[in-house]
Amino acid sequence: MHEMSLVESIMDAILEMKEQNEWVRIRKIVLRIGDMRQVIPEIMVFAFRTASVSTPLEGAELVVKAVKLHFKCNDCQKEWGEENMAFLCPFCGSFEVKLIHGMELEIESLEVDDTNG
Amino acid sequence: MAKTVEIKKSVMAADEKIAEKIRSVSREKGILIINLIGSPGAGKTSVLEATYKAADFRFAVIEGDIATTRDAERIALLGVPAVQINTHGGCHLEANLVESAFNELDLDSLDVIFIENVGNLVCPVEFDLGEDYKVAVNSIPEGSDKPLKYPHLFHKAGAVLLTKLDLLPYISFDKELFESDVFKLNPRVSLIEMVPVQGKGIEEWVRLVKGWLEEKRR
Repeated sequence: MHEMSLVESIMDAILEMKEQNEWVRIRKIVLRIGDMRQVIPEIMVFAFRTASVSTPLEGAELVVKAVKLHFKCNDCQKEWGEENMAFLCPFCGSFEVKLIHGMELEIESLEVDDTNG
Repeated sequence: MAKTVEIKKSVMAADEKIAEKIRSVSREKGILIINLIGSPGAGKTSVLEATYKAADFRFAVIEGDIATTRDAERIALLGVPAVQINTHGGCHLEANLVESAFNELDLDSLDVIFIENVGNLVCPVEFDLGEDYKVAVNSIPEGSDKPLKYPHLFHKAGAVLLTKLDLLPYISFDKELFESDVFKLNPRVSLIEMVPVQGKGIEEWVRLVKGWLEEKRR
């Protein structure tokens, strides 16, 4: 299960941040994940619930924001979405195509209880 | 008190750091690293065995498997240095595992390191191992629909090896569709048709690897 591997990396990263910043509790984790990463949000949430049991992250809410594929041609500057999944510009035929959205795999924000509470 | 903290940090930051370390060692030593990714049974180990017969560069293999040392044994039989990593259930290799395998190799006597990832078309693509190129290995029996089903791998690959081509007469595989989907995802990729056990396509593959090696050392 692909999502479980990612959840493990996410948990490691957040636990490290928690320790460094001396946060008491993590309430909510917001992720941004591009569609090219082939992550199913429901499975990700399930994997997190399972993996976080008996860890300091147990009970935190996980929110996965999916980011749709979006392409841009470096030659004609036109943009298009996932309806045409190709690294070949549908407007001018150029190969100079960049995926500007869809590869995201980031922890966007955390809702935490800090020590000053 | 509850507060929201902006993080905007890659999930993979920790892995990427180790991958960068591997990359800097390989740059310094002038070693090309190739990460072979494909389904179980696609022919990854067979490609490496055939590579040995045709290659005039020195290489080692890091074998990633969930269990057993069978692949490393196959490679070691040829006299090629092989390090086995067992992931014990893990579906992919991670940079820290590769880094420790590095310590078991005599880097000064190598030109190329092939990492044979755990057989899987999804997870291995996500984890940067510090390689110069990912290479997708896809066999005819897997069907021609794999590129669009697993676009991340085919988009990221420096080369696609289409293996077991000798089975084409017996299996319904739309080669034109496969090729056009691969080039849609990755217009500049090298697509090599192969029958590793017969040596077909291996010379072209070895030439490609040598080209990459020369480019890296330039």
